Amino acid sequence: MYGGGNTFEAIKAEGLEEEDARKMAEFEGRIAQGEKIEPDDWMPRLYRQQLIRMIEQHAHSEIIGALPEGTWITRAPGFRRKLALMAKVQDEVGHAQLLYSAAETLGKSREEMLTDLINGKSKYSNVFNYPTYTWADSCIISWLIDAGAIVNQMANSKGSYGPYCRALERICAEEAFHLKYGHDSVVYMATGSSIQRQMVQEALNRWWSQIMTFFGPSDKLSVHTETLMRWKVKMASNDECRQQYLDMYVPKILELGLTIPDPLLKKNEDTGQWEYTEPDWDEFRRVINGDGPCNAERLGVRRMAEERGAWVRLALKNPTAKYVRPLA
Amino acid sequence: MKEEAIKDLLYKIADDQLILGHRNSEWTGLGPILEEDIAFSSMAQDKIGHSLAFYTLLHELGEAEPDLLAFSRSATQFHNSQFTELPNGEFDYSLIRHFLYDNAEAIRFEKLSHSGYEPIAKVATKLKGEIKYHVLHANTWIRNLGSSTEEAISRLQNSLNSLMPYALGMFELSVYEQVLIDTGIYAGEEAIKEEWLTRIQQVLASTELTMPDIPSQTPMLGGRYGTHTKHLQPLLNEMAEVIKIDPTAEW
Amino acid sequence: MSLKSLDPRINRLNLPDGEQPPMEPKAAFDQFETYEVFAQKRDNTPFTYAGPVHAPNADVAFLFAKEQYSRRSACSGLWVVQTRHIMVSPYANDDECIYDTFKVEIPEHTAWPLESYEVFHLKKRGKAHTHIGRVGATSYQEAYHKAKQAFAAQHPAVNMWVVKSKNVLQSAEEDRDMWLTLPEKKYREPAAYKVLDRIKSFKEKQQKALNK
Repeated sequence: MYGGGNTFEAIKAEGLEEEDARKMAEFEGRIAQGEKIEPDDWMPRLYRQQLIRMIEQHAHSEIIGALPEGTWITRAPGFRRKLALMAKVQDEVGHAQLLYSAAETLGKSREEMLTDLINGKSKYSNVFNYPTYTWADSCIISWLIDAGAIVNQMANSKGSYGPYCRALERICAEEAFHLKYGHDSVVYMATGSSIQRQMVQEALNRWWSQIMTFFGPSDKLSVHTETLMRWKVKMASNDECRQQYLDMYVPKILELGLTIPDPLLKKNEDTGQWEYTEPDWDEFRRVINGDGPCNAERLGVRRMAEERGAWVRLALKNPTAKYVRPLA
Repeated sequence: MKEEAIKDLLYKIADDQLILGHRNSEWTGLGPILEEDIAFSSMAQDKIGHSLAFYTLLHELGEAEPDLLAFSRSATQFHNSQFTELPNGEFDYSLIRHFLYDNAEAIRFEKLSHSGYEPIAKVATKLKGEIKYHVLHANTWIRNLGSSTEEAISRLQNSLNSLMPYALGMFELSVYEQVLIDTGIYAGEEAIKEEWLTRIQQVLASTELTMPDIPSQTPMLGGRYGTHTKHLQPLLNEMAEVIKIDPTAEW
Repeated sequence: MSLKSLDPRINRLNLPDGEQPPMEPKAAFDQFETYEVFAQKRDNTPFTYAGPVHAPNADVAFLFAKEQYSRRSACSGLWVVQTRHIMVSPYANDDECIYDTFKVEIPEHTAWPLESYEVFHLKKRGKAHTHIGRVGATSYQEAYHKAKQAFAAQHPAVNMWVVKSKNVLQSAEEDRDMWLTLPEKKYREPAAYKVLDRIKSFKEKQQKALNK
């Protein structure tokens, strides 16, 4: 699961003029023709840096994203939900594995990425810094956050970097189940008893502003953004993704008799655009920089997994190992 | 008599699989290596899936629906061995339990696939492939870690020593033991235990781990008939926390 | 004080609360070396590249690969190869064939006996490498040449991988039943979740309530 909301501090598009002009032309020509870039190809440094950062953040979002839903893994009501939630959280870990591997093809090792995550040097999707108070929160995430992730990932899967596309293809196929499961679990509650309806409405109230920030603030149109779009690193603007998302999911939420906690939300028939209350971007910045309700816990848990698992990895480590990055 | 014996057998298998599957599922997202996290979660899902299959057979024999059986009984009504309900501890502890349990599970299911009670034989046959992986996984890990660093070996050895009495509790005799054996429904716990000892001994012999002295162990019995450690009831409360918010609702 | 969580699993871990000093950088290979995994979707179809796993040795790599790459889609076999055992050609453009654009010198024929090599082709950039066949050779370079003679005309490729057959860990024939477990896992399939009827009857009920 991943949103645009975390690619915040933009790398400056410096040094582009130092790149080899002939190689750059060949590189850009390949992308313009719709060909994919593979790991051994020449690529501008900015492309490599930006992709590493983006794929790495995506991977972190998966592994951290396993935690808010994992909160309910031992309490899922009934076999059907219990099995599905286990499988879904497992998939998120699997996606992290795929994405770390894709980022590794660009030259950053998994060890470095995990260290940067735990030490707060690298971001992940900000929504996972919020808690899941009830079972219904986990259902809302499974449905509406995963839905956002799919909008994002479908766009990214048409990007230019081969290994990332291959990983996303697998991920999108698996997420189809997440979305259906999430929808199913919300539908059961929304059409169920009054206690259930209340639970799911309250969860939606808690999560709506997170959902609205999921794709990130409006992108500033900069030379940088234009370059990344030309290189098919960034495939759609944050606002385009948000609009597409609202088009797809607002009707599905409303048909369940749920209320979306934003009185200003409506589609402007003239412009075809959704209008809404601007989310609190100051809070967003504060939380993404570490000051959210669950930041410390999320990183603490990952750190625990690393530290308490260290003896296992040390025991199996091959002293003669030489690092070879994965091939594709 | 025979039907009661079959139910008794089904309950202990289903409850074992559910409780250990539940415990193992706690590792999801918290494992020591990403890939192992995934593998461990798959096996936990398998176990819970197996319990569902056996609760379904019980339901066909007139017991309650699987969800009710799993989510609404209290600890004294559970037939799992105490071995399966112990908290996870660290990875060495969970791994040793996985190794001891899944080797027994494999033998149990092999025998059950020849059960004279057709529905059990069918389910057991269907699950063979999954259990094969579980045993391969467990034995590969023990072989690898069991002859690695001093720390790993001593962790595994300590876990093995403290878990062995509980593991032997898996083979607590049923009150219908003789009926089950005589009617060809089940090979019986003694037969399974003997084979189990041979198999785990074989794996341990290829490592630097030492098999605890079996005759001097006191098996932790009682789980099959409702005597449990203090850990089971809290586990069940947690498992049913959401469903109990509105037990009549569909979730 | 330990960290308080809404997740009972986390509470049982007794994590320290409050500010922690930064973690020491993880040692290199803490997550092990890489192995490349190839999966076969069904019998008599070629093995196709699925992705890498990190593992300390081939046996563990196989355990990991099985769940990471075969749990969610049909599979009838797996191959696992340590990454450093794979020789990789450069990449050609999509409208070219690598065997035309990339030449290797064949070493003087040596007295070594022929060894078997597995050859994988990438048909198009962004797709996945697929097993195309096997050649006998005395070196990777010779294997590249033999592969060109054997496969280039029929199976143009933008990239090729070649690996000694003895370095490929293949799933065993007698373990076929390990792959047959998918049909029981319907809860992981989107098709298992059908709510249209439930939504429809909910809407009807709401409509009736409104009409009253």
